[in-house]
Amino acid sequence: MDRREITIPLNCALILFLFLIPLFVTGAYQLHVLVMTGIAVVLTSSLRLIFNSGQLSLGQGGMMTLGAYTSALLVTKLGLSTWIALGASAAAGALLGLLVGYPFMRLKGIYFSLVTVFMAEVIRLIAEQWRSVTGGTLGISNIPAPDAIAIPGLFNISFGSKVSFYYLTLILVLLSLLALYALERSRIGLTWFSVRESDFLSESIGIDTASSKVLGFCIGSFFAGLAGGLYSQYNSVITPSGFGFIYSMYVLIYMIVGGGQSFLGPILGAVILTFLPEVARPLKAYQPYIFGGVVILVMFLLPGGLVSLPQRIMTLFKGR
Amino acid sequence: MAGSNLVAQIILNGLMAASIYILVALGLTLVLSMTGIVQLAHGEIYMLGAYGTYFFCVVLGLHYLLALVISTLIIGLVGVPLEKIFFRPFRGRDFMPSVIIAVGIMIMLQTTAIVNFGSSIKVVTTPFRGVMTIAGAIVSWERLLVIAISAIFVGGLFLLLRRTKMGLGMLALSQDIRGAALQGISADRVSSVAMFLGCSLAAVAGGLMGAIFNLSPSMGGYALMKGIAVIILGGMGSLAGVVLGGLILGFIDGIVPPLLSVHMANLIGFICIILILIFRPQGIMGRPS
Repeated sequence: MDRREITIPLNCALILFLFLIPLFVTGAYQLHVLVMTGIAVVLTSSLRLIFNSGQLSLGQGGMMTLGAYTSALLVTKLGLSTWIALGASAAAGALLGLLVGYPFMRLKGIYFSLVTVFMAEVIRLIAEQWRSVTGGTLGISNIPAPDAIAIPGLFNISFGSKVSFYYLTLILVLLSLLALYALERSRIGLTWFSVRESDFLSESIGIDTASSKVLGFCIGSFFAGLAGGLYSQYNSVITPSGFGFIYSMYVLIYMIVGGGQSFLGPILGAVILTFLPEVARPLKAYQPYIFGGVVILVMFLLPGGLVSLPQRIMTLFKGR
Repeated sequence: MAGSNLVAQIILNGLMAASIYILVALGLTLVLSMTGIVQLAHGEIYMLGAYGTYFFCVVLGLHYLLALVISTLIIGLVGVPLEKIFFRPFRGRDFMPSVIIAVGIMIMLQTTAIVNFGSSIKVVTTPFRGVMTIAGAIVSWERLLVIAISAIFVGGLFLLLRRTKMGLGMLALSQDIRGAALQGISADRVSSVAMFLGCSLAAVAGGLMGAIFNLSPSMGGYALMKGIAVIILGGMGSLAGVVLGGLILGFIDGIVPPLLSVHMANLIGFICIILILIFRPQGIMGRPS
């Protein structure tokens, strides 16, 4: 049987469900959690793209900070349209990825990951220190929401409410995922997989491994920048330390705990692990124990991540 | 006149920062090279060391030095089961699960500190108040104490590793696991000892730092970052490199703040590390892989 016969209707049903959510989820806080989940999904999936291209970035939070500041500054200081600023935030991520990509790609494995940590830290410190532009530790506030989209006489969508923002986030998340999926299935996606499996063999068949990795890093950073821009317009306040080292580590956790091997894994990880603290909220200060405990437990019991659970159960039932 | 004052001040502040960084980084590199684990919860061990000292010194009212010793030993011992339960099953395999588990532990240890001590800032007062003047520089006794105790620990560690059978066995294992196993060196025992030493070093660094700066449950992240920076600077796996890297980073932190600001020191430090990584990925003292 063709797998597509099941997955396409299933995906359509899921997307329909996501569009209907605001009908029965109306609380401002619940919608806030959903928007933040969407942002986490984009970041985690874009991290997977970088990961697939052969390197592990721990600077996604930094790229997000860059995107957030780019968008916020263009809107508040230069008065640009929020939509242009949103595009610019994504472009800023990609541009920095391109600039640092080639020198960083000289490094392999953990060394690359560590240099991205310091890159993110440098971005944070610049945002904190360049007070005249970035507002220092207090950050930037009163960032306007996205400009209304209006076609006179037909419709007028303004983004003042949480619900409208939920839809904006949903559409951006779906488009991002579509793009990431298409990239993974394309020729360049196959090239990334081959580079990840073996640098040497890929080079022997004429693949420019460095450029291929830089491209992966660039595209991944593009989406992290976009997520940052979206966040700044959503939250209307940004600070330098909002997406620091810990946030980058959380994104990594989402990906690995969800399952880095499949496209679905990071999405699943981001959704479940951003909901988990909300579910455990009654525990108050003890709540992070649940998060930490689940993360450790999954690593012990399901090394392939949450996405491998059905397969794991199947093999248990079949015996050995 | 003011010039020589400033130079002496810079040297002492640099030495103090360097000694904390060296302690943290030595622990981190010890665990990394003996067990192969990137112990990202190392900063939280450092934080717990500071809170342990706070608990015995301020809450129970013991002498600061006694509190420091007790806290260091306890936190060191906590490290042993931590390694055995959480890290040993993943030793020698793909490093990703152990990184994730370390972050899980990091979250849980931070929560432990918040639950028990609250997230407000805590202060440890030591009996070593007061200042003295060395070569025109005004230094508090506490800062000198940090430098002295760090020197003792670093010296002790080097003696342990180079002069005792256990230490030589550990060094052998870090170079060649199979060869060491053939010589009857138990990887399990080395892991336990390395984790005990690593956590003790982090804890003593935390306890010393607590005497100078305020304590907060999130203080570990900064220490971890500096520790990693020192290791990279010096070259992974090189103990002498750690000392050199710590001194460089410490002196950046000593020189820059009086001229610019503390944050600029961090910024310059991290940019230096990015540049060193790019042009000499194996660090200053590391061997090219």
